[in-house]
Amino acid sequence: MVSKTEETQLNSLENQVDNGGGGAWEYLCLVRKLKARRSEKVLKYGLSILNDPKKRSALGPEEWTLYEQVAIAAMDCQCLDVAKDCIKALQKKFPESKRVGRLNGMLLEAKGSWGEAEKAYSSLLEDNPLDQVIHKRRVAMAKAQGNISGAIESLNKYLEIFMADHEAWRELAEIYVSLQMYKQAAFCYEELILSQPTVPLYHLAYADVLYTLGGLENLHTAKKYYASTIDLTGGKNTRALFGICLCTSAIAQVSKGRNKEDKESPELHSLAATALEKDYKQRASDKLGLLTSALRSLKT
Amino acid sequence: MAEDLVLDTAIRDWVLIPLSVVMVLIGILRYFVSKLMLSSQLPDPKIVKEGQVIVRARNLRAAANFIPPKSFRSRRVYFSNEENGLLFVPKGQAQNPQAQMFSDPNMAMDMMKKNLSMIIPQTLTFAWVNFFFSGFVAAKIPFPLTQRFRSMLQNGIDLSTVDVSYVSSRSWYFLNLFGLRGLFSLILGEENATDDTQRMMQMSGFGFDPSKSLGAEKDGLDIVQHEWALPKFEHRAEAALKKLIK
Repeated sequence: MVSKTEETQLNSLENQVDNGGGGAWEYLCLVRKLKARRSEKVLKYGLSILNDPKKRSALGPEEWTLYEQVAIAAMDCQCLDVAKDCIKALQKKFPESKRVGRLNGMLLEAKGSWGEAEKAYSSLLEDNPLDQVIHKRRVAMAKAQGNISGAIESLNKYLEIFMADHEAWRELAEIYVSLQMYKQAAFCYEELILSQPTVPLYHLAYADVLYTLGGLENLHTAKKYYASTIDLTGGKNTRALFGICLCTSAIAQVSKGRNKEDKESPELHSLAATALEKDYKQRASDKLGLLTSALRSLKT
Repeated sequence: MAEDLVLDTAIRDWVLIPLSVVMVLIGILRYFVSKLMLSSQLPDPKIVKEGQVIVRARNLRAAANFIPPKSFRSRRVYFSNEENGLLFVPKGQAQNPQAQMFSDPNMAMDMMKKNLSMIIPQTLTFAWVNFFFSGFVAAKIPFPLTQRFRSMLQNGIDLSTVDVSYVSSRSWYFLNLFGLRGLFSLILGEENATDDTQRMMQMSGFGFDPSKSLGAEKDGLDIVQHEWALPKFEHRAEAALKKLIK
């Protein structure tokens, strides 16, 4: 996950390179460091550096990292010939390398020959059974082939060993949500909150899942997590504000007549509504009427 | 109170500086040799898994107050229950890792190599210093010391009336040994093989690492009292929104 300052830095560098200023190499390094996925730009600028022999030799040993980066970007943009050339250059230089073997597997994946890619990955895994990236590629392959349950199974097995990998937990949570297995998704989001408690994104997603599950207790918990999202983002997250209003009205509906909930945060709901209206007035004032009527219908 | 000895500047030129230079060069040499002799060690799956379990358990302990009490309790049981909890190590197994580590040929070889690369240059340099640079006062320490340091710092000097602040070159050697670590991390980047002091500290607590830390995590987890932090977040959210609306 990229922080805001890093993202702005990346965007400004990108603009600079787009408009003809120098700095392509710094841009590529930053993309690599932040693991951002800007494959078209990477492909364009990476190729321009690689095709110019003067600039290429100026890179020194970083040249091979650039080859790898451009190969992956080319596969992402489906320029398989470019990818194949890069991989061939890398293979000439590093004949017995695991990394190049992995790139070959990815090329087979990109071409769509799943069986061969699976064979390549299994043979690589035999040599080093603890390579995280290859495990994840197999999960990605299963997902791309549409075999979601296979993807879930391999991801679960992966997580049994590497249970501190929060990216994997996140992927698993999203898969579960797509399959509507909300209880399992809630578990995954809890893991994410545990590992990174100050990231509002996970609180928000957890609250969404809890709200979808329904039931009085879950609704209360969801409301609390929407509140924590608001706190973590300083009130700017529109979705959390909506979440609060929806939760409050859902709780009111479910516990019709039982008045035990007002003691905790009586004003939260009206505050959220006011904040929403203010936000809409600033940013989308033509929709303000829709908003006020929707909020009013929620209150009743 | 003590007479001030005037030390020949030739001592500085021909003892202190060459000694430091030699130690820096030996350190760099050792770094390159260690790079050449680096054997890639295949990580043991069990150890990797244990490491990850520890990280996860630690996260659970640290952020326990952010998840609902029921989930916390179920996770705690998952980690520390008697039969198949992840952190639970039955008493018999706890002794094994150290013995295992010594019988495992790869790991034993690795440890031996690392120890050798540390011990041999140190011994050689020490012997060289003793042979060539003994028997005279090399430097003066700027702060006064007690008499007990005399045997340690002044071993070439056989006069007992000389102030303990005047030390022999052996102590300069030791000073360099521990002090050049910072210089090496500047020159060679982090992760250099000259980190002797760190390795010496590591040698003592070697084999027990996995099972002891598992037990420690389990105890830590058992202690944690879950106090759900979320309710107070609602109030904080109210405050934040109030501020926003103003």
